[in-house]
Amino acid sequence: MKPIFARGISNQFRLTLAIILSVILIVANGRLDPVRQSISSVLSPLQYVANVPGALLDWSAEHLATRDMLAKQNKALLRQQLLMSERLQRFEHLRQENDRLRGLLGSPVHMDSKKVVAEVMEVASDPYHQYVVLNQGARTGVFVGQPVVDAQGVVGQVVQISELTSRVLLISDVTHGIPVRITRNDVRLVVNGTGVLDELELKFVSKSTDIRVGDLLVSSGLGNRFPEGYPVARVMKVIKDNGQSYATVTAQPLAALDRIRYLLLIWPDELEHRQDHNDIPVAESNDVKPEAKQEVSE
Amino acid sequence: MSMHIANGRWVVWLSLLGAMLLQIMPLPDIVEAWRPDWLLLVIIYWAMALPHRYNILSAFALGVMLDILLGAHLGIRALSMSLVVYVVVLHFQRLRNFPIWQQALMISSLVCLHHLVVFWVQFVLSTVTFDESLFLPAISSLIIWPWVFWMLRRLRRLYKVR
Repeated sequence: MKPIFARGISNQFRLTLAIILSVILIVANGRLDPVRQSISSVLSPLQYVANVPGALLDWSAEHLATRDMLAKQNKALLRQQLLMSERLQRFEHLRQENDRLRGLLGSPVHMDSKKVVAEVMEVASDPYHQYVVLNQGARTGVFVGQPVVDAQGVVGQVVQISELTSRVLLISDVTHGIPVRITRNDVRLVVNGTGVLDELELKFVSKSTDIRVGDLLVSSGLGNRFPEGYPVARVMKVIKDNGQSYATVTAQPLAALDRIRYLLLIWPDELEHRQDHNDIPVAESNDVKPEAKQEVSE
Repeated sequence: MSMHIANGRWVVWLSLLGAMLLQIMPLPDIVEAWRPDWLLLVIIYWAMALPHRYNILSAFALGVMLDILLGAHLGIRALSMSLVVYVVVLHFQRLRNFPIWQQALMISSLVCLHHLVVFWVQFVLSTVTFDESLFLPAISSLIIWPWVFWMLRRLRRLYKVR
């Protein structure tokens, strides 16, 4: 079986072609997002199929639960719901008060943003990064850079999308950074991932910075990617070594990154959205407000 | 001429599809690091058996798909899989005639090469640290290769894939 067409193009030529193409892909990686999105839309059924065994395990765990277990769980959830609704009542009151105060100051009022619950698909990802795959994609309106949170805190942001799935980079990834502030004193910092799921680090914190073990770090909203005020991490260790130029600060993410199951995708508010894209509408709204007030006073 | 007409192409496609599924299938954390490189093994087999039909550029295309499925930097696995399959295509006659254990050893070193190339490109692109667990898939691929080989050969003979 001596094929003619192995002679046609030599293997060396094919290899050279493959290497050149790969290098082009590696270099142009960032600009190929549309291509990636369309190919991964075609391939995403594979991910759904690969997810089936995990989904089956979940299903059986749900359906084989005993009545006793369900009753117990139900009771716990009811208790939790009661506590939550009490807190929600207080929160509602505070929100109204806050809106009124913001109205008096003439600053923009925070809107309720759109949210969608997404489920984490059990699919293997690149071992060199910390990714999870969600079962919501461009069809639901997911976009690259979208913040993702769970019940405890910020989880990460969407980095790749396809029609039916999206990939989230966790805050613990080495390449991830998120601007935060300390709730106690509003000091602004940046939290970086370390590659370890339950450890984050704060780089370039000067030794005079007022930061203590136990401080809560919430997203500061700077950088216009993550909305303001979502809890991110708690400071675990502060080492101020005289031999080092900066303090070594490590923090622990509040979201349980190792066992996330259901996540919330957040769409930024209309107002904030306008702010990140161009400053002009905001300036306009500032101009408009005094006039409106004048009209009222007249 | 009739010898050169492709036959049973769907067997190859199905086996590659299955390998791709196994490649992204969830595994418990303990065995995750041991996951054999299914896709690479299967394309190595087809490159060895039918080098005039499945070779470097097929490996390249599969590598791109795998990169996209894993969400990795584009082109990394495309590069390493083309390199590995190039070695296979260059020595397919010799590989075919090796006893199975020697073949498995060769394949496992090729898997090592694949992982080293992937690591090396990742290292150039971003900060990653070297971890010896990189070589675990080579060991599991060594163990799994004889079975992959026998199964695919049976399939190939059964459906007369050419």
